[in-house]
Amino acid sequence: MSDLKALIEAVIKGDISTATAETQHAVGTGHNAQDILDKGLIAAMDEVGERFSKGQIFVPQMLRSAKTMQECMKALEPFFQEGSITSKGKVIIGTVKGDLHDIGKNLVSMMMEGAGFTMFDLGVDASPERFVQKAQEIEPDIVAMSALLSTTMPSMRLTIEALKEASLRDKVKVMIGGAPVTEKYAREIEADCYAPDAGSAVSKAKEILGIS
Amino acid sequence: MEPAETPTFQPRLRVLNREQALVIHNAALEILEKTGFRMEHPGVVEMLTDAGCKVTNGDWLRLPAYLVEAALASAPKQIVLYDQRGNKAMPLVDGTPFYGTGSDATFTLDLETSQRRRVVLEDVANFARLVDGLENIAFAMSMGNPENVPVGDIYIHVFAEMVKNTNKPIVFIADSGRDIARIHGIACKVAGGEEELRKKPFLLNYSEAISPLRFPQNVMEKLIFCAEKGIPICLPSGSNAGGGAPVMLAGAMALGIAENLVGLVIHQLAGKGSPFLFGPNVSVLDMKSTVISYGCPEWSLTQAALADMRDEIYGLPIWAYAGASDAKVMDAQAGAEAMFSIISSMLSRCDVIHDVGFLEYGSTSSLEMVVMVNELVAMSRFFTEGIPVNEETLALEAIERVAHGGPGSIFLTDDHTFEHFMQAQFLPVLLDRNRYDSWKEAGAADLYQRCNSEAKRILAEHQVEPKTKEIVEEIDRILRGG
Repeated sequence: MSDLKALIEAVIKGDISTATAETQHAVGTGHNAQDILDKGLIAAMDEVGERFSKGQIFVPQMLRSAKTMQECMKALEPFFQEGSITSKGKVIIGTVKGDLHDIGKNLVSMMMEGAGFTMFDLGVDASPERFVQKAQEIEPDIVAMSALLSTTMPSMRLTIEALKEASLRDKVKVMIGGAPVTEKYAREIEADCYAPDAGSAVSKAKEILGIS
Repeated sequence: MEPAETPTFQPRLRVLNREQALVIHNAALEILEKTGFRMEHPGVVEMLTDAGCKVTNGDWLRLPAYLVEAALASAPKQIVLYDQRGNKAMPLVDGTPFYGTGSDATFTLDLETSQRRRVVLEDVANFARLVDGLENIAFAMSMGNPENVPVGDIYIHVFAEMVKNTNKPIVFIADSGRDIARIHGIACKVAGGEEELRKKPFLLNYSEAISPLRFPQNVMEKLIFCAEKGIPICLPSGSNAGGGAPVMLAGAMALGIAENLVGLVIHQLAGKGSPFLFGPNVSVLDMKSTVISYGCPEWSLTQAALADMRDEIYGLPIWAYAGASDAKVMDAQAGAEAMFSIISSMLSRCDVIHDVGFLEYGSTSSLEMVVMVNELVAMSRFFTEGIPVNEETLALEAIERVAHGGPGSIFLTDDHTFEHFMQAQFLPVLLDRNRYDSWKEAGAADLYQRCNSEAKRILAEHQVEPKTKEIVEEIDRILRGG
């Protein structure tokens, strides 16, 4: 059984064809799928995250690595029992009602996915009802909300209130972010955390779920 | 013999040649004809399809080039903004650049503590009064979204606050057709009626569509409102390279221009001949922090390129930015980045230049920064005026006098120096040229500290000519929801 070094390197480089071939190869040489995921793909993405936080690589390189990981996951999926892939957590994410900006939200979603979270993206202009409905459906660990405009921030508070009314607030952690959002605002509306950027969204999400 | 009058060359920056300008313009037209755009205002969809646009898929439309040509033909090439007393203040007619502040910052640097804190309504008043008292800052924007007013009416409150604290032109933000109508109500009261305001607009609306190619309903409400009421408007969409737009600057410009052209076409259909400022605002998304940079060379470069496209193709006054920084405090980075965009925007003759006084990529406003920019604009203006060459400036007679004047004869004592030094030299107020010892004795203050003192002095001493009691009461009535 060979080690997963070549796979890790290919994911770090964002070399999709080599990485998917290495994934197939690892399966063929007797690695089990969970090991390939944990010790290969996620280990690679941890290294990518580390390099990014040190300023050694740039956002497009990190996103390419995340995309590479997703492609490798597609190759791995047939080897998992249905529902047996372990995830860091389920996250519903959306830009709140009234706001149509999605670049920041998409970035957070991709980075969290790359870090091993399972993302459910509600897109933009997502109403409190849609957050609640999706939360009832998938029972997420985290509800993440984004807003770019000062005038749409109140939708975050309304969404939290809707989660309370649906008796879901105690069952999920709420994370918020976006240009006009502040730590203070997060406290005011009783969100569990505020993430100032996509990189910190990943670490804060791990922190509030108590995972590494 | 009288020497012939030699015209003064005024230094001018060019970054695109005509061929490049036309290729970018054609790319923008191709985006509109082939890719199309998403229009979320049903009334505008109808207006555009009646005019010749094709619906391709739900709310996606394609726009033929002839509509762009018609809109460019009917939009006014010259726009004049007035002050709030009806005097001509910003004639956007001859390439004179006008600098002003920005909007929507979340934080400000506190004048007393130097700490970054949330903006409150009083800050909006202070920025407006400071602008009113600064010679080289031509117009006011709110510089912040205050936390102590109801968020749904935030733009009405900051507009009212600006009106009460400056008489200079105002560039304002609104959320939708609802609050813009109330802001217009205040403006009409100040101008003395709707027709007076239309004739002598003292305000300009800044609205944003969403790159790539998305036009939300609330934004279109504002565009239509301005077109119908004759309020000047600009409509960039955030086609920042690597963010809302392609990472390469030419593509980002083509996309941003395409989006601007959509706005212009709708605007001219809704109000033929109404004033529209061109300008897509193409900065970059920083590839490490993902912020939209306010200190990068790219934004200065794309707006200089846009100025060339204005001169080659569009002819419409343009919207630009300068005097801002990504630095978190007013340090050397802030000074360097601010000056880079100030001098380049002036050398390329951008028309309406906003965002002066911003730190932290537009998230934090600083009164000190505005004061510094006021001086940097003066410095840049001196440079941009060039070197007049004539009998008086060549001063051959003075040279003759001093050279043959005998012992003790120096230029400093010559009449020519006495008569001309004020125009001949840029005389800084805040940029320090003292000898070391006197600088130290005076407290060894750095530029930030000197700007801080100057901001405090202006806020304490500058008197803004107040609005009449009747106008103030009417504003307060509108603020109460009347």
